Amino acid sequence: MNPLEELANGVTHLQHSFDSAYVVGPVTQYIVWMVVCLAITLIVVLVCGRKLSLVPKNKFVHMVEYGYDFVRKDMGENAIGHGYKKHVPFLATLFFFILISNFVGLIPGCKTPTGTISVTWALSLVSFVYFNWQGIKAHGGWGYIKSIAPSGLPKVMVPVIWFFEFVSLVLRLLTLAVRLYGNMFAGHMALGIFALATTVFLQSITSSIVGVVGIGWFALLLAMYALECLVAFLQAYVFTILSAVYISLATSEH
Amino acid sequence: MEIALTLDALKLVGYGLAAIGPGLGIGIACYGCCVATARQPELQGRLFTNFIIGAALAEALALLGFVLAFIL
Repeated sequence: MNPLEELANGVTHLQHSFDSAYVVGPVTQYIVWMVVCLAITLIVVLVCGRKLSLVPKNKFVHMVEYGYDFVRKDMGENAIGHGYKKHVPFLATLFFFILISNFVGLIPGCKTPTGTISVTWALSLVSFVYFNWQGIKAHGGWGYIKSIAPSGLPKVMVPVIWFFEFVSLVLRLLTLAVRLYGNMFAGHMALGIFALATTVFLQSITSSIVGVVGIGWFALLLAMYALECLVAFLQAYVFTILSAVYISLATSEH
Repeated sequence: MEIALTLDALKLVGYGLAAIGPGLGIGIACYGCCVATARQPELQGRLFTNFIIGAALAEALALLGFVLAFIL
């Protein structure tokens, strides 16, 4: 059989493997992996919290503390600024959960929970409710609604700018969810297609010389895998820092 | 082989067009961030935060196109 035709058949099969399939009752495989990631996050953080000391000697504790410090310095202090300390636990929870979810998906055979829109939708809803709630707490209900438009504008322009700022505020809910989902889904799809091409071409090496192309596909797969490791970290970072920036926009005095 | 130019195909073309603008925008934002960091390396943290905000705003357009390709 022509390897290209086989590849086209395999791609449809690959696409179906990304659909949510019910495992037990209403539980899909993505929910199972989400619970697994949640358990891993809890275990990592709780075990580290048990072993905390003033001068950490354990390598594992060092690693987790470095991650927490990264969230605190890079996202808390740099993005939020004054009064960042009370937001750090929320940001660290988001960062660790998304980071572990993204990296679990890179292990062959595992699914990434952030590769489905429902999980990212829930995460972005949590972030959206949190920063609006913080804004209302800081300015009061009417004050927060007024503070959506930046101050110092001419009186005539205020309703127009307010409307645009409001639309962009509501769109944050959509963009946070779709950015994470799109990056993870597309990355895993690309990895799947390269892996499929490698197998299809290498299997046909006995019948035709074209199969040698499979080695090229394999090199491409390894390069893509390295890129996906970067993307997995970067998307967790971007999600958290954007949440931090939105919190600072909502709570700061304009 | 018959090439069918269906509505579905046009949606994908529309998404491709929607990705051009944000691509240019993020490229320009990254250029600005790199140049500014080279001139004043001590401001790197704040510049990078601003770059991420700008990139997120530009990327929102591409993501809107991505969503519209699905729901239209």
